Amino acid sequence: MATLATGAPGVLARTREALVRPRTLVAVATTAVVGYLALIPLVYLLWTTFSDAEGFSLGGFARAYGDPRIGGLVGNSVWFAVGSAVLSLTVGTALAYFNVRTDVPFKALFFAASIIPLIIPGILYTISWIFLASPTIGLLNALVEPVFGPGTFDIFTVWGMIWVEGLHLSPIAFLFMVAAFRSTDPSLEESALMSGATRVQTFRRVTLPLVRPALLSAALIMLVRSLESFEVPALLGLQNGIYVFTSRIYQVLRSYPVDFAGAGALAVGLLAVAALGIWLSNKAGGGHGGATITGKGFRPRPIDLGRWKPVVGAGILAYFFVTVLAPLMVLLYTALLPYYRPPSREAFASMNLDNFVAVFNLPSVPTALKNSLILGGGAATIVMALMAVAAWVVVRSGIPGRQILDHIAFSPLVIPGLVLGVGIAFVYLRSPLPIYGTLLILLIAYCTRYLPYGMRYAVAGMQTISTELEESAQVSGAGWWATFRRVLLPLIAPALLAGWVYIFVVSFRELSSSILLYTPGNEVLSISIWELYANARFGELSALGVIMVLILAVLVAVAYKVGARVGLKD
Amino acid sequence: MLTISNLVKSFAGDGRSAAGRVFAVNDVSLEVGEGEMFTLLGPSGCGKTTTLRSVAGLEKPDSGRIVVGGRVLFDGDGVNVPANQRGLGMVFQSYAIWPHMTVFDNVAFPLQVRKRSQRPGRREIRERVAKVLETMELAHLADRQATKLSGGQQQRLALARAIIIEPPLMLLDEPLSNLDAKLRESLRYELKRLQRELGITSVYVTHDQIEALALSTTIAVMKEGNVLQTGRPREVYETPNCKFVAEFIGTSNFLRGKVVARAGECVDIETDAGRVRLESAAQVPVGEEVLAAIRPESLELSTTGWGNRPNEWPGTVTNRAFLGEAVDHIVRVGGLSLRVRGNPSVSIKPGTDIFVATEPSKVTLVPVG
Amino acid sequence: MSRRSALAALGAAGLLLLSGCGGAPTAGPAPGSDQPTAAEAVYAEVGALSGTERRDRLVQLAAEEGNKLSIYTSLNADIADIVVPQFEQATGVDVDVYRADSETVLQRTLQEAQAGFAGADVVETNATQMAIIADQGLTGDYRSEYRDKINEQFQYQGWTPTRFNIFAPAWNTNLVAGDLVPRSWEDLADPEYDGILSLEVSDYDWFMTLYGHFREQGMADADIDRLFADMVAGSKVAKGHSGQVELLSAGEFGVVAASYTYLTEKARASGAPVDDQPFVEPVVARANGAGLLRSSTHPATAMLFLDWMLSDGQKIILDNGLTPAVMPDGTDPLAGLQVLPVDVQQLIDEGSEWSARYDEVVRGGEQLPEQ
Repeated sequence: MATLATGAPGVLARTREALVRPRTLVAVATTAVVGYLALIPLVYLLWTTFSDAEGFSLGGFARAYGDPRIGGLVGNSVWFAVGSAVLSLTVGTALAYFNVRTDVPFKALFFAASIIPLIIPGILYTISWIFLASPTIGLLNALVEPVFGPGTFDIFTVWGMIWVEGLHLSPIAFLFMVAAFRSTDPSLEESALMSGATRVQTFRRVTLPLVRPALLSAALIMLVRSLESFEVPALLGLQNGIYVFTSRIYQVLRSYPVDFAGAGALAVGLLAVAALGIWLSNKAGGGHGGATITGKGFRPRPIDLGRWKPVVGAGILAYFFVTVLAPLMVLLYTALLPYYRPPSREAFASMNLDNFVAVFNLPSVPTALKNSLILGGGAATIVMALMAVAAWVVVRSGIPGRQILDHIAFSPLVIPGLVLGVGIAFVYLRSPLPIYGTLLILLIAYCTRYLPYGMRYAVAGMQTISTELEESAQVSGAGWWATFRRVLLPLIAPALLAGWVYIFVVSFRELSSSILLYTPGNEVLSISIWELYANARFGELSALGVIMVLILAVLVAVAYKVGARVGLKD
Repeated sequence: MLTISNLVKSFAGDGRSAAGRVFAVNDVSLEVGEGEMFTLLGPSGCGKTTTLRSVAGLEKPDSGRIVVGGRVLFDGDGVNVPANQRGLGMVFQSYAIWPHMTVFDNVAFPLQVRKRSQRPGRREIRERVAKVLETMELAHLADRQATKLSGGQQQRLALARAIIIEPPLMLLDEPLSNLDAKLRESLRYELKRLQRELGITSVYVTHDQIEALALSTTIAVMKEGNVLQTGRPREVYETPNCKFVAEFIGTSNFLRGKVVARAGECVDIETDAGRVRLESAAQVPVGEEVLAAIRPESLELSTTGWGNRPNEWPGTVTNRAFLGEAVDHIVRVGGLSLRVRGNPSVSIKPGTDIFVATEPSKVTLVPVG
Repeated sequence: MSRRSALAALGAAGLLLLSGCGGAPTAGPAPGSDQPTAAEAVYAEVGALSGTERRDRLVQLAAEEGNKLSIYTSLNADIADIVVPQFEQATGVDVDVYRADSETVLQRTLQEAQAGFAGADVVETNATQMAIIADQGLTGDYRSEYRDKINEQFQYQGWTPTRFNIFAPAWNTNLVAGDLVPRSWEDLADPEYDGILSLEVSDYDWFMTLYGHFREQGMADADIDRLFADMVAGSKVAKGHSGQVELLSAGEFGVVAASYTYLTEKARASGAPVDDQPFVEPVVARANGAGLLRSSTHPATAMLFLDWMLSDGQKIILDNGLTPAVMPDGTDPLAGLQVLPVDVQQLIDEGSEWSARYDEVVRGGEQLPEQ
């Protein structure tokens, strides 16, 4: 670097040559697209936060953080986020470990358990938990009442919020950790066992450090995901006055004149917490334990659980019941009733299929379904394609300042959906390109919103691949593109597919920016869900939820099958 | 064939210290002849792998010059051919076999990714891969998933992939270190045979001195980014030019002493074990502090003594170890303990008084330090 | 490059990128010019007409405009899905409907106006948002015989009510019966509702109106504050009126302090054990209304829609359990009821203070752990 100053005659020519190399071009193009997508809402957010009619201002911060209750707000947010992250990571990691590494029974249930909670819209998932564990009407409370008395479980507490959010997030942690466990060499664990370590010691001292990059990546996502989670704090927290960042931002954005600066200041607070998280995870992940897929072959052999098998099996069944079956059953139950009421003879007698019929008769549903499929598939494909390259830039390229790309791609995660929507609308309303009012603007919004997830999946995948695999291709004469396409891409394909499925599924739920940006004829399914919710048509909403779960489960299964055919091994 | 001149490569330090740069390779110059099996030997962190990776194009040196067969691959003044255009073969420590490809695909890859104008036809690729797999005795596994091979087979696959393009220079980065001892030994000879048969000039990186001695035509011993000694295996082994080399290659008995007499190449030094005579061309003046090194197998034992040898000292056996093909005795001579390696049929009880002797030509003078 | 300086550089670059587009991003006053627009000329011309003459002229102009219309509305889908097709059938106009919650409708309308994008011809939403849109000078004058029939308390500049939202307490009939049924707003402060009363987190307009009502009754602020504090004590705060009614039906809540009467009615009609009759009076009423945009590219069609909405449309609204602005027979639907209209101007002027104040009152609930 210092040699630049000496001004050797070849420097300029060399720099120019380096710039037109294909890898540089692709890296720059990807960075440009990612930067463009992510910076529009970010800049918009910062601008509105730090300016008022007169120019630069910190009034938003004064209003947002001058509130005497801000301490409780931050405390609740962190408590809730850390608790949910810990719960989801613990559950997700344990399940992934059992699934990949042991002869645990009921492996078929894992697939359902890993996807279905993602598909159930957050509103419905939360409401189904109110029906299950509310102190007054909760079914679970009714079940245990003879033993423990009334109101054993109270879902309207921070612990209740952590429980619901943690369970709802655990499938993401599971998907992450499955990929990580699949790519680590079991002989490393076996050698620990041979050294006299117990299973638990082995897991703690060998297995966990090996999957640390993926674990950190997942922890970060879980943390930020729960920080920006909205449905759970809104539906469960407000009732007892438990405020977190998002529910406060929501409140600020709902009043007039809209205090964008105040909401922005809160969002900037979120951004700061998230940036701290990234920094910590980079620092913690920088040490060792990176490369795990080496060019040495290994055959994953399941560990015999022995006498623990029934115990673990029962645990798996319990998890499946709690995360999948119970909410789904509540959904189905609600969908079959004219209005919700606790189970009773009369309730079962009143069941019918009216809600399903009504859903199919909603005029916007077929269009919305089609548009959601297009947008989900499109956004998932675009984001994962971009992120495959971006992950390479961040993890492998060695380009100075490459971490910035990581930070930029992360920022949309903490920008409130409405602000993101307003920012995008602001730009494209003034753009000469006819994008405003088309499906394309929704696609742009979705791509922006899901960049961070794509980034995490791709980076985690990239980090598990030994650099020697890439270098050996280079030495074999492969240029950057050939190396990328023929070696890296197939190797990170499982991570890319996992990211694709995640984005595809969650994009069906995106509401806060969709609702501002859609135009008649471009409705998406989440708008239909919102309308049903706004009209208090919970029966039809549940019916639509059940239908969505079925459709998406089938589609995701097909995606995995196709993925397996194009050379993804498990 | 390969000329490395004044190669320097430094890395940023831990960032805390201001000076903060660690020199992994510090002014290394090497000359590798056609058909040679040239070994870079040294402990981990000595810069041998960095040197190799610089040749491969996987590291960008700070300065220096790398020339292969007259083609400048790197020059601190502006030339830096990318790794994929250097046309070299390389075997990685982990083999870096691509787990998502079959054996055939792994080997065919270097041919398939060539520029369209230089790419052989589909049939030719198939034939050439088949031939190489044949040589490596992997032909029957061509369609197998690469990860389903045994360690030895993977090693041969990595080698096959490296030689498929018939590179002018092959780079091997500790290719045997992942194998068990038995396999390592048989593959060592296999590797030497192949290298001879194919006549590919090779640079081999290892920290295993036995491997280096057995395989190489030339060894360069490295330490902390510098080459300490370059020479034929026997040369390096028998006449190490410093204590580090003597210690690192095989085991040596070191005797510190002062030159007391000198006549031509014949030097006498006084040590704690007694007077030692050695032959050295080095100009060491009388009175100089020196270090003499004697290999354990160069020392002989006798219960009766010879009585007429220049280097003959009385001592006591303090310990012995049976090594299978040899027996080591530790003999207390004066103030020193000497390791003596001998025929396994001779085993002497500890506590026995004994005589130790060696020829002056077997004693090496190494610079103090 | 440090992260901070990098961010700063990026921020600067982004600002440059955006500032080329001009305009402040916040919801400040739109730079609406005072020049009458083409649409306003139509509104003025047709506004002077009435009866068949007016209708014929509108139909003729609408045809010239291509019989197309774009409506932004927060009208619920189940109502909009009946209203709009009926209008299309009656007039042959092709309508695009954008539906969202009222805040989003407002955001979108303001955003588009700032960018000079003619998105909507008619906006139909809640009073507060309608008043803001009118206040920004985005709507034109609408004069018609239908407008004149609406209750005087609800005559606004720049927009016209199309229906009323009425707040009244609702209760679960299984949990609350006989003497427990609330008869006045003050009743809600009674400790017998502790643990079963639910308030909605954003009902500050209801709060403001009721507060004003108590003041008019001669109550001191301290007493009113105590009244609300007693109400909140032991209450459960919920988000969203729809969810509130659902949870009321399920028995999670026993009483909802301020429920939309149409939501209560709907739940009751589907068999849920809920009721709000007899109404606790005075009921708090807030108008929802529509405005014709000055930037409209289909002004006559827009006017045709509003005329229709205030005549034939009112019957559909009534038939679907909503409260129309004018009864189909031309009478006042609020007649006979004690009504407290939400003061829209006060809402705009003092909205944020009342919102903050209500926020504080509602949060009082958390300090009194009752269960």
